[in-house]
Amino acid sequence: MADAARAAKNLAMLMRPPLPQPKHTRLWLAPYVAIGVFALAMLILTALLQWRELDTARSALEGDMHWAERTIENRLHAHQDFLGELGREQEFKQLTYEAFQVKAGRYAREAPEIQAIIWVDTDGKVEWVAPNESTAVFVGEQLTGERLAALQKALRVRTEVVSADYRDATQRPAHDIILPVQRGSADLGAFIAVESIEALLRTTLPTVFTTRYSLTVVDAQNREVLSNSSVKPTDRQVSGQISLDLPNNRLGLNIVAYRVGGAWLPFVPAALIIVLTLIASVTLIQLRRHAQHRADTEEELRTAYAFRQAMSQSLITGLRAIDLEGRITFVNAAFCRMTGFDESELVGIKPPYPYWPPEEFDRLQNNIDTALAGKAPASGFEMRIMRKSGERFDVRLYFSPLIGTNGQQIGWMASMNDITEPKRVRVELERAHERFVTVIDGLDSAVHVADVQTGEILFANRAFQNIFGFDAVGQNSAQVTAACRPPPEQLARDPQQIGADELPCELFDGELQHTLSGHWYHLHERAIRWVDGRTVRVQIGADITDRKHIDDVNLQQQKRLEQTSRLITMGEMASSLAHELNQPLSAIANYCAGCVKRMQAGNYRIDDILAAMQKASDQAERAGKIIRRMRDMVKKGDPNRQPIALEELVDETRAFADIDAQRTGTQIVVDLPDNLPKIVVDRIMIEQVLLNLFKNGIEAMSDVPVERRLLTLQARRVDERMLEITVADQGHGLAEEDIEKIFAPFYTTKAEGMGIGLAICRSIIEFHQGRLWVEPRREGGTVFHFTVPIEELGEDSNE
Amino acid sequence: MNDLTQTIYVVDDDEAMRDSMTWLLEGEGYVVACFDSAESFLKARRDDMRGCLILDVRMPEMSGLELHEKLDALGSELPVIFVTGHGDVPMAVSALQRGACDFIEKPFHNEDLLSRIVRALELDAQLSARRQRNGAISHRLDQLTQRESEVMKLVVAGKLNKQIADELNISMKTVEAHRARVMEKMGVRTLAELVKAVVTVN
Repeated sequence: MADAARAAKNLAMLMRPPLPQPKHTRLWLAPYVAIGVFALAMLILTALLQWRELDTARSALEGDMHWAERTIENRLHAHQDFLGELGREQEFKQLTYEAFQVKAGRYAREAPEIQAIIWVDTDGKVEWVAPNESTAVFVGEQLTGERLAALQKALRVRTEVVSADYRDATQRPAHDIILPVQRGSADLGAFIAVESIEALLRTTLPTVFTTRYSLTVVDAQNREVLSNSSVKPTDRQVSGQISLDLPNNRLGLNIVAYRVGGAWLPFVPAALIIVLTLIASVTLIQLRRHAQHRADTEEELRTAYAFRQAMSQSLITGLRAIDLEGRITFVNAAFCRMTGFDESELVGIKPPYPYWPPEEFDRLQNNIDTALAGKAPASGFEMRIMRKSGERFDVRLYFSPLIGTNGQQIGWMASMNDITEPKRVRVELERAHERFVTVIDGLDSAVHVADVQTGEILFANRAFQNIFGFDAVGQNSAQVTAACRPPPEQLARDPQQIGADELPCELFDGELQHTLSGHWYHLHERAIRWVDGRTVRVQIGADITDRKHIDDVNLQQQKRLEQTSRLITMGEMASSLAHELNQPLSAIANYCAGCVKRMQAGNYRIDDILAAMQKASDQAERAGKIIRRMRDMVKKGDPNRQPIALEELVDETRAFADIDAQRTGTQIVVDLPDNLPKIVVDRIMIEQVLLNLFKNGIEAMSDVPVERRLLTLQARRVDERMLEITVADQGHGLAEEDIEKIFAPFYTTKAEGMGIGLAICRSIIEFHQGRLWVEPRREGGTVFHFTVPIEELGEDSNE
Repeated sequence: MNDLTQTIYVVDDDEAMRDSMTWLLEGEGYVVACFDSAESFLKARRDDMRGCLILDVRMPEMSGLELHEKLDALGSELPVIFVTGHGDVPMAVSALQRGACDFIEKPFHNEDLLSRIVRALELDAQLSARRQRNGAISHRLDQLTQRESEVMKLVVAGKLNKQIADELNISMKTVEAHRARVMEKMGVRTLAELVKAVVTVN
């Protein structure tokens, strides 16, 4: 549980964008500056401290020097005072050698720096020496050199003089304090205190002083006389000089303080600071390099993240991550877009998810259980889910394990594709294919496709399979269709030689009889490019057995009809006349029946009976006329050609044609010029021709407006022998190909026509040495022309 | 047997046919009226015409069949006998299917025509009687008050007096009184007669 939560958190962090990169500024210089300033401050501080320490040391030195100066001066003054005391006693001759020995010996012992106190004469010859044991000077010793010069100077100036420093017997620096003694104006000699400078310093200055400072004694010429240390201090920062102005001499004391820890000590802090600063800088540089590296890595990471994010968001595939318990941990934009739910509405939800349609709960729960168990099929789940709006759509969901950063599975990733459209397309395709198959199978023509090279049948429709067997597909076409196949020599081309660029190409178009079943087929074969690019033969075979049969029957019928055509025309005419006969016959029957009834009843008037009988007789006559006309028409035998006026013929024909003309509202206009010659024709035959042409004309105008239904008959004399008669209608006219054919037997443009009328008419006219032809009328409609012979005019031209 | 109010209407475009038909039928004692076209008959037609109509199928302009359709549309109950020529039989059969009374083919025997006329006139008489009877019952029904007709409808529907009283929210006595008045006004004595009368009209 905790693992899962952590995993979810990891995942969430993975999916969250890293912090934005800081702006690249000069800020990184700040640590360097800080370090520099700090180092500088430390150096200044150190210098200040050192300066202060030096100052303190100098103050201490000055104090010590002052003290030392005073101490040395006091000592020297004490020595001078003592010498002065001795001098005064000598001057006044109060001093004996013994007294001198006692006094001077005691003094010399008290002041260790005084090596000896001697009494010399004016020439510098030692007379007294105290203390006795002193080895510095011996009695009778003659002073020489500087000592003598100093003595003489002292005698001359009559005041205390200190000799220049010299080396005594032990080679130690010493000087003489010379006090000349006079009595009156005569010089008696001088008391000299031989003073060891080294001892002077030793006795006057405490040990502390000498250990702390390096002392150097210099003479008046600033030459070094004595030094208490063989090691010369190199650092003279803390130093001072005491200058004791002795009479005729100067005692310079150079004091240099020993530095504790040596000369390099003051530089240690500075060096340390510098070293530390350097270390800090180096560290900082390393740190900065590391930070730069880190920033670069972060930048790379950010780029990679942005790329992944863009990929995830711009994907049209919906992505959904769930943890091991099925809780949603992540959804991408496409997933939200598809389902219509916001990310916040989905993340953290456990099944059932809000986009599950209620009716699919069981199935989807089963799917997710399967997926969580790791048994999701590689092909994914096809399922129906629901948008927020309630709309259902189909998706395919693929599962794959989601591995966390530590290599452990933390959940399942699912990618979701909206397959509504592909599914619809697939269904459409299936339907289209189904339609295609239905249409092809619904054809009663046998269709099959065979490879040109191998002869393998690639496709065959049901009609083909019905004829050649249901296992035809995959077999060899030549074997399957052996009973009904165009012989190779009749093919337009050798199919195997046809190049790809010549497709499609006709191979065969003809009729064949199936050798086994006896059926006739119309085979049409072409070479085309098949769906996979190879060349195939497509053959369509239509069963034409029935049509062939009908054709045969038609042919026979045509022959028979040609023979009986005339009879049929007569039959039609008879039917028409019989109809007319009905009227008078019915009327006669009524009149007679009426008479009979009345006479049977005995209730009648003779006039009424007579009138009725008269009417019946009139009707009988009417019937007789009709019969006569009919008999004339059906009369067999050779045509009876007689001279006859055209008007008479036309009038008689109109009597028949008017029935149809009135019914259809057609107006028949007969426009004949005066004094037309008689024509020599068979009356019934020409009437038949005219009636035929009238009827055709009336029918031709059945679909034009009533006011246009006008049939015109005209006649003109062509020459001495022939008269031309034209019948013009304003009907639909004739197509050009029909003009050629309408005189052929059994050709008709009418729905119910037999197609023999005009053929017979032409025969009749040709029998009369005339001609029958047709022309389209300029204003629309058709004009029939025929010519008939004119009576050879004899003597009576007046008729 | 001939009802004097019945007339035989002949519609034919042939003058000889009209005249001979009149002669024949008047000889039988019928009243005959002739029209030379369907249009002229339509012009003269009235709702109370009684008798039968002899109609020629083939006529110029409006044919016999067209006239028959028009009359049907107008609600005419006049029986129609079609007279057809040769070859018109299928046409006549279809007319019969649409409710024509009969047809006869030319040329016809006069006895055939007359027997058909007799049948047509009998049919006409029946129709006319029914119209009259219905008229009488309707008249009586009109005389019932609204409450009486409500009671009557329930009675005819086979409800008991108690049920009627409950349904109409009136007392049994009132129902009985209404019922007695209904029987009286309708001129019937038994419930069966009442039911028959009401069913005839409806």
